[in-house]
Parts: sequence; structure tokens; C-alpha cells
Amino acid sequence: MQYQTRRSIPTLLTTIGALAFLFVPLFIVILFSFHATDALTPPFEGVSLRWYREVLADDAVRDGLFTSLRVAVLTAVTTLIFGTAAAYGVSRTAGRAGAAYATLFLLPIAMPGLILGVALLSFFSNRSISLSTLTVVIAHTVFVAPVFFIVARTALDRIDEAQLEAAADLGATPGYRFRKVILPQVLPVLLAGAAMAFVISFDEFIVTFFVIGNESTLPLVIFSRLRRTIDPSINAISSLLLFLNLALWLAALLYSLRLEARRRRDALAQVQG
Amino acid sequence: MDRRRLGLGGLLRHPLTVATPSVLVMLAFFFAPVVITVVYSFLTGELFQVSRPITLGNYESALTLDVNRTMALNSVIIGVIVATVTVAVGMPVAYWLHFSAGRWATPVISLVVASMFAGYLVRIYAWRTVLGTNGVINSGLSGSGLIDEPLGFLIFSRAAVTIAELHLMLPFAIVMLYAAIRPIRLDHLEAAEDLGSSPSIRWRRLILPLMAAPMASAWMFIFIVSSSDFVTPQFLGGLDGQLIGTQINRYFRESGDYGKGAALAVLMIVFYTVLYLLIQGGLRMAKLNRIEWD
Repeated sequence: MQYQTRRSIPTLLTTIGALAFLFVPLFIVILFSFHATDALTPPFEGVSLRWYREVLADDAVRDGLFTSLRVAVLTAVTTLIFGTAAAYGVSRTAGRAGAAYATLFLLPIAMPGLILGVALLSFFSNRSISLSTLTVVIAHTVFVAPVFFIVARTALDRIDEAQLEAAADLGATPGYRFRKVILPQVLPVLLAGAAMAFVISFDEFIVTFFVIGNESTLPLVIFSRLRRTIDPSINAISSLLLFLNLALWLAALLYSLRLEARRRRDALAQVQG
Repeated sequence: MDRRRLGLGGLLRHPLTVATPSVLVMLAFFFAPVVITVVYSFLTGELFQVSRPITLGNYESALTLDVNRTMALNSVIIGVIVATVTVAVGMPVAYWLHFSAGRWATPVISLVVASMFAGYLVRIYAWRTVLGTNGVINSGLSGSGLIDEPLGFLIFSRAAVTIAELHLMLPFAIVMLYAAIRPIRLDHLEAAEDLGSSPSIRWRRLILPLMAAPMASAWMFIFIVSSSDFVTPQFLGGLDGQLIGTQINRYFRESGDYGKGAALAVLMIVFYTVLYLLIQGGLRMAKLNRIEWD
């Protein structure tokens, strides 16, 4: 931080309270995922990995996991392609046309998942498109592409117009300029955005619930178990999901910290050199 | 773009041409579904199909059925409570992160984001473990002899839904408000301090006006997401704690009356839009919509 900070006890206490509120329930889920008995309530009677073994041997969970991974990868890829193209076009176009495009692309962000889900369900049924993981990928792309667009446009807007003009004067075609001037500068942000799309898609339940066919993503597997019984294996699935998401997110965080450090080093080198 | 070169070739190379397929995809899979939902809301629905004649009956039943009214009211009450509380808690947290956390800011905001990634269903489920009849709170209380029978109102109630929604939404409030508070510099606070203002005056006259627009956005976002939830009520709401999403879900997934479901969905969109315009109008009237600093 570049400036002096100041102490503020009330806001500090609020922060501590907020963190406790956010994390205590999650710790309880993790704790009971290691429970030796099938009781889901205190007292805690010994540690065991039996629920994890059970879950990992469970075909429904494994199928759900693979379906989720497939959907999330496809969503990340389609989001990357469509979102980047939209953000590139809008950030290189001044004036009303660009703004109109941006509004069209951003509007789904204001739509609650429930309404997007039922609207897409109506649409697919009206067009006689049968529900499958493909319809889920379409739905997820509509859901996350606007978020990706915001991230990508911010990065693309920072590109120095003079560099592009210099490249153009030296005879670079638009495609060449995009590959050699723009892409190297924004690629890390675009990949981070795609990772974000992956994570959102992987966890998405509400929209998926309406547009999925016979297969189940992992959240749908959890949902159907939650509905049926109180089952200690849910703690283990939940914890696994939590660890997986945390690992993904931690990787993304470390990556962005490294990028930040490199940018600072480069800036420093520029000043000195 | 250089106007002289804008022939057919120029048009093909125009950046917006690159963006056009993406926008067409959005038009096909976002705007077309919304249009179809609006059309469906005027048709007669039956067994996952709709047919003519055109009718206003869906809207009539949407607005007059008691169950819809109760659930809509629950949605508004819970949405208002959740949005207000999370923004009210998110503000001091954002303040602390920005003005006093120093090197702790990054780890703490990372933790907040991490809790979001714990998963939507996992977090709802966690509250079932905590609030359930044999849950952590009830076992704790009876174990320590404070109560004889489990507190039944903890779960399957509006209170349970509200608590879980607070948990789901608080990270959004913190992240959005923290992003918005970052342009405010400590100088502003110190200038106000040098001029002899008390802390409460600095909140009221400096921070809250500067943060009014982002607070309103966060409030609106959280209101929309929490009041339209149907999954949390399903697991924690019992009979009394159902929100309007429950009813939409029933029409679309259980009874297959797409017409009635679509009418409710359209009414929700209209309601959210009107609320948004009212809030924006209020901000503009109070001249809080576009405050500039520096």
C-alpha cells in the first residue's frame, strides 16, 4: 500500500465477524466429512476417510464429475472465442455502434438465473431442440460470456493505439496486428477470464437444472442426493468440490500474482533502462 | 476507422464485423428465448406445451392466486432484508479493507472470494447441517442443557432461508463495494478530518455519498439474485419460507404449465426493471448518481 493506513476497530470487528459467518459453516461440513460414524451431528467421534472412499467409488459421482468437466471446458472455450471477438470489436470501435454492441452483449448479466433458465427451456422446447449437455453449454455461455466480456474489454481498452498505428504503418494486416501486438498483451487476462468461466460453469446449478437432458452434472448429482436423504457422503462430495474449487482458484491467484510481479519488474526495468 | 477505405473490403475488416457473430449468438440464445417467454405468457399452457387461444388468464392467475401472493411477498421481504444487511455489513468491511487493512487486504479479500467458490449447493447444505433439528446449534444447546427440545424454527422457515441467503450474498456485497471504494483516497478522509469533522460526519457526508451509486448497484444485484432463488427455499424453507421462484419452478418442471410460468417470469422481469428505474431515478434526484472526485 502506498499510503498510511489507519486503525478502525469497529470496521475490523465487522470484518472478523463476516469472515467467521462465511467460514464456520464450511468448516463444519469439512469436519464431518471426516467423521468415522454416519452421524452428521456433534459429538464428533473419530476421524476416518470412509466417506471419501465411498464417494470416489461411486459411479454417479464420477459420471457427474466428468459431465461437469466436459461442460465447463466447452463453456470456457466458447466463452473465450465469442467473448474475445465481441470485446475486440467493441474496444476498437468508438461511438454509438460500439456502445450498442456492448449493451446487447451485456444485457444477460441483469437476468436472474431462474428466468434465463426457464426462457431457454421455453426456447429449446419451442424450437424442438432436445436437451443435452450441448444445451447446457449454450446456456452457460450466455450466462458467463457477459462477465468475461467486461474483463476482456478492460484489458483491450488499455492497449496503446500508437502501437497499432505503428504496426499498420509498417504494413501489418489487422490479423497480424491482433496476433503480434494485441494478443501478447492481453492473453493472460483472457486466460484468467476463461478460467473464471470454467469455475462458474462448473458450479452452476440453477440454469443447468432447466436445460439439462438425461445426464447430470456434479451439482445435479448433489442436488438429487440432498433431496432424497441425509447422507454423510454429501459432506465428502461437498468437501471434495470445495477443495477442487479452492485449488483452481489458488492456482489462478498465484498465476495473477506472478504476472503482477513480472509487470512491476518490467516497469522498473523500463524506468531504469 | 478510416472512412475512405470503407468499401466492402473495409467493412469486412471493420472490428465490429469480428464482433458480429458473437452478438448474433447472444441474440439467438438470449433475446429469442426472452421473446418466446413473453409470447408463451399469453398462450394456454398444458403438459409442457402451449397452444392458442391467446389469453390473459395466465396473468390473471399470476396476480390473484393466494399462493403466488404469499410467495411473492416472501421474495420481496427476504430480498430486501438480505440486500440491506449484506450492503450494511459490506460497507464497513470494504472500508476496513481499503483504509486500514494494509498488507492484510489481499489475503482477506482472497478469503472472501474463496468462500464464494465453496459452491452454491454446498453452502446451502452447510446451513442444513448447522440449523437442522439435530444440527450443530440444536445439539450444542441441548448438550449444554440450555434447551430440552430442539428449536424447530431454526430450519424449514423464512429465517433459515434468510440466513443462508445472507451467507450466499455477503461475498458479492464485499467484493462489489471494495472495488468501488478503492478510488477514494485517504487524503479525502484526512482533509475532512483536518476540517474538524467527526467520524460519523465523515461517514454521512463523505463516504456514503461517494458510495451511494455502487451501494445501490450492489443492493439491486443482491435483491434480484436472492429474491429469485428457488433452491435455498426448497432445502431450508419448509412450508412458510418459499419464494416466488418455487412457483415458477413448479410450473416449468412439475405441472408443465409453461403459460402460467412464463407469465410469472415476465412479471418478475417487469418488477425488477421498474425497481431498477426507481432506484436510478432516486439517485439522480438526490444528485448522487455521478459524483466525481479529484
